[in-house]
Amino acid sequence: MVIIVLVKYVPDMSRVRFDVDRGRVDRSSADLEINPFDLNALEAAVCIKEELGGQIFVLSMGPRRTESALKDTLARGADDAFLLEDRKFAGADTLATSYTIASAVRQLGHFDLILCGEKTVDGDTGQVGPEVAEHLDIPHIACAYELNVTRENVTATCDIGMERCTFKTSFPALITVTKDINIPRLPTFRDRARARQMAVQMMGAAVLSGNADVTRFGVQGSPTKVYKVIVPSGEGRKGKIFRQASDEAVNEVSERICHLVSPNNGAGDIS
Amino acid sequence: MSMVSDLAAIVGEDWVITAREQTARYLADETADAVRPRPAENVVLIKPSSAEEVAEVLKLANREKTPVFVRGGGTGICGGAVPIADGILLSTERLDGILEIDKDNLMVVAGAGVPFGNMLKAVEEAGLFFPPHPGDEGAHVGGLVACNAGGTRAVKYGVIRNFVRGLEVVTPTGDIINLGGKLLKNNQGFDLMHLLINSGGALGVITKVIFRLCPKFNSSGTLIISYDERHKAINTVPKILQSGVVPLAIEYVERDVIEISAKRLNMEWPAKKGNTFLIVILTGDSEDEVYAQGEKVSTICEGNNAVDILIAERREEQANILKIRSEVYSSLKSNIADVLDITVPPASIGEMMDKVDEIAAKFNIKIPTYGHAADGNLHPHLLADLVEKGLLREVKRQIYAEAIKMGGVITGEHGLGVIRLPDLDLYPDKKMWELMRGIKAVFDPNNILSPGIGVL
Repeated sequence: MVIIVLVKYVPDMSRVRFDVDRGRVDRSSADLEINPFDLNALEAAVCIKEELGGQIFVLSMGPRRTESALKDTLARGADDAFLLEDRKFAGADTLATSYTIASAVRQLGHFDLILCGEKTVDGDTGQVGPEVAEHLDIPHIACAYELNVTRENVTATCDIGMERCTFKTSFPALITVTKDINIPRLPTFRDRARARQMAVQMMGAAVLSGNADVTRFGVQGSPTKVYKVIVPSGEGRKGKIFRQASDEAVNEVSERICHLVSPNNGAGDIS
Repeated sequence: MSMVSDLAAIVGEDWVITAREQTARYLADETADAVRPRPAENVVLIKPSSAEEVAEVLKLANREKTPVFVRGGGTGICGGAVPIADGILLSTERLDGILEIDKDNLMVVAGAGVPFGNMLKAVEEAGLFFPPHPGDEGAHVGGLVACNAGGTRAVKYGVIRNFVRGLEVVTPTGDIINLGGKLLKNNQGFDLMHLLINSGGALGVITKVIFRLCPKFNSSGTLIISYDERHKAINTVPKILQSGVVPLAIEYVERDVIEISAKRLNMEWPAKKGNTFLIVILTGDSEDEVYAQGEKVSTICEGNNAVDILIAERREEQANILKIRSEVYSSLKSNIADVLDITVPPASIGEMMDKVDEIAAKFNIKIPTYGHAADGNLHPHLLADLVEKGLLREVKRQIYAEAIKMGGVITGEHGLGVIRLPDLDLYPDKKMWELMRGIKAVFDPNNILSPGIGVL
């Protein structure tokens, strides 16, 4: 079983600051780390490998400074890690990103399964995984929180809002996973220290040019144009003092609580 | 009624509260139910907004001979925030301004009522670091100083005391004094500032604090080191410290206790191997520095029969480990009669744990124990069934006696508060308490401030 795990490096969203004036994320304000959903995908891959054997390749696209962090995936069970790094890839939207990744997957050769997180915590589109599958013309299943993999096929149970659905497909296939699928294990210190000495394989645009249209990479291949991003400002705490208990005070408090619990409804009976 | 109206004239009508349903949540702290002191019946809660208002309140209290109790975040666990006599309960919660973050001098100036978590956030946003972390971020800055809080990060940087550089204090007689400042050296007479630190609210009302800060470290890693047996884990700790590595924290926990905490938080304890664990937090200027320390620590631990060593580097994963550790007390609290806070010389911690085990065996009871392994600070948990069996006091005193015999103390970070005072007779040196009573009398001739708390 050959599994490719797609990984993106994202800013630590608990620390990252937003450039309100320019409407963009200030990526220098926080460390980069593996998108947490992709860690779930890697853990799922490791569990499959433990049961069925095989190999796990991690594939990422990003700047060279993500290289050392990508080694964390080697400590967590990946056999090899590849980083798509080239100025020609810069400024890519989800379409160009997925096209570039799909081209790299073809370059890597045979695979059975591609796993990735359902979305990233910075872009939050959930588009790249399924788009990669479309470029590769393979089946895809999104938002799986349970997987049952045999040598012949994979069954995925998915959360689609109010319903749960189970899908089954043969290989090759792509599946995006939710955070509910597992709790990623921690690497051992020795594995992590060893991984720091391992090499991440770099892939530039030239390597992919044999089986890809280079005009579809990066900003050139990106039809999405962002005109404006609005960063909502925090409202902060507010207080109001009711000096005497009265029906008026009780009614106002109950209305406000009801609005918080269910903003779309009017005040309800909370008695 | 006259007292209430006099108080209202000082702090404003909105900030004087007498209705029991509105004062109720101010009358208890996080002390276990079985030992928490009962609050007095007639308590007026006030919320002054400045040191000047606090001073006026204390002058009034002296005139009227009315006790004043001080309350910060109410997170203490020795009854120190409970008003145990009829009188005034003074909450510092409106002194909640972060007044300055001085990047040039590496200092923060904060009102006593600033929640610790808010201060940490502001310091971090300024690109700086405040090392001590007593656990509960709901604690207030003034309370941290009044209790000299400790916590997990004392190994490398020390406790709160090591970071206090200045205090604004209202004395029990209503004078406002400023002690210390943005200074690293200060030999101007007796060090009253350090006398106020850990005074438990008995010597003055702290209204403003100046803390020293540190530059932020660039890299950190949290190791979970698993052992199949306690002694192997505990015996490793002095060897780590002797190696030259000074971790931010070294904590000791056992599987049964830590898994209860993880389950309550709907989380999972990451270590699957072993039954006892050291949590070692390493920090440095670079990842290389952290790994060099990790290599040393791992080699020592492997040589002492560690069965597994995991590392967390992601911020969230490290925070989760600390969260599970920090919530152990809350997780066990419903079944706890008292959580002890004994501290012995660091190298004696294994021997102290054995003594706790011997006492448990003698009384045929279970005493879950964990603690800050490198500080010699242990938290044996006396479970609720000891109350039913009538053994609580006896078991506690036997543990205290063993700690004192080893050169230790009965409290290393929680403080005396109210609930530790009855056991001070175990100390052989009575003169120490006599001097403390004398100091209290100099500061507070009418015994107005927090009577019965922090000093006999």
